[in-house]
Amino acid sequence: MASVAAGYLPILLFLGVALALSTAFVLLPMLVSKATGSSNPYADKLAEYECGFPAFEDSRAQFDVRFYLVAILFIIFDLEAAFLYPWAVSLGAIGFGGWLAMMIFLAELTLGFVYAWKKGALEWE
Amino acid sequence: MIQTIAFYLFATLVIASAALTIVARNPVHSVLWLILSFFNAAGLMVLVGAEFIAMLLVIVYVGAVAVLFLFVVMMLDIDFAELRAGYAQYLPFGVLLVLVLSAEMIFAVSAWSAGGIALSASVAPVPEGVPNIEALGTLIYTRYLFIFEGAGLVLLVAMIGAIVLTHRTRSGTRPQNVSQQVKRRPQDAVRKIDQPVGQGMDL
Repeated sequence: MASVAAGYLPILLFLGVALALSTAFVLLPMLVSKATGSSNPYADKLAEYECGFPAFEDSRAQFDVRFYLVAILFIIFDLEAAFLYPWAVSLGAIGFGGWLAMMIFLAELTLGFVYAWKKGALEWE
Repeated sequence: MIQTIAFYLFATLVIASAALTIVARNPVHSVLWLILSFFNAAGLMVLVGAEFIAMLLVIVYVGAVAVLFLFVVMMLDIDFAELRAGYAQYLPFGVLLVLVLSAEMIFAVSAWSAGGIALSASVAPVPEGVPNIEALGTLIYTRYLFIFEGAGLVLLVAMIGAIVLTHRTRSGTRPQNVSQQVKRRPQDAVRKIDQPVGQGMDL
């Protein structure tokens, strides 16, 4: 199984490069400002602001529950797509039975999709 | 060599970020640590050779489940200081849970080291020379077909349940009605008049 992981080595190298670069971009300005003596944090400078004026409210505003419905519909169709990948790759080996199984699966989810559509769950208003 | 280093890197980061998920005071930070943990678990899966599972972890868990967690955290209107005030009250229950879990772990590890658990006999053999995703596909859609269809039903129930629980029609909103817009003809909306000079206009 080492061959599978070896194929991902370039991605690991890229990750290392990305990590090194991002660390440098964060740490170097801090080090330079400390070294040159321009580092002078005070309460007003560290306070959060939006467009230059003090923030009106807490950043954790309460969400509408409609976002949750959209997210859960997204998860379900995401999983459906995820199931389609191994099916498409192994379609030659699993034959008609496997094809029919996926069609039934898709029909189940299409039923849910029709229900969501008719209920107006996809409409934002 | 590289594989060993990568394994220890990913494993350490999984455990560290999982610990930080629990310890973090801000629940939003907790979810972000959880996402880091998912990414490192995906790295571990790649090291094992289960690349499809790794991609699934990134797509489904990071892309969808973590977003759902974030939404839930943002939706709940909980005073977290008040929630933490019950620490002493829930302490006995928490200690009980810890005892049960650690006992389970000790039993599992000692049973494993005592031998006799032939795990490789109960799982399907890994075919040689076949990509991971293809081997998975041939198993899911033949041997585990009914479980797969059951998963589809569970997803259907989840979808309908979410709609029933969270969807409500709002009155007073004016949604777009496409067919009505398309059906509207110029003669319904436009009027041509020959306006006489010097007289007021009649609307």
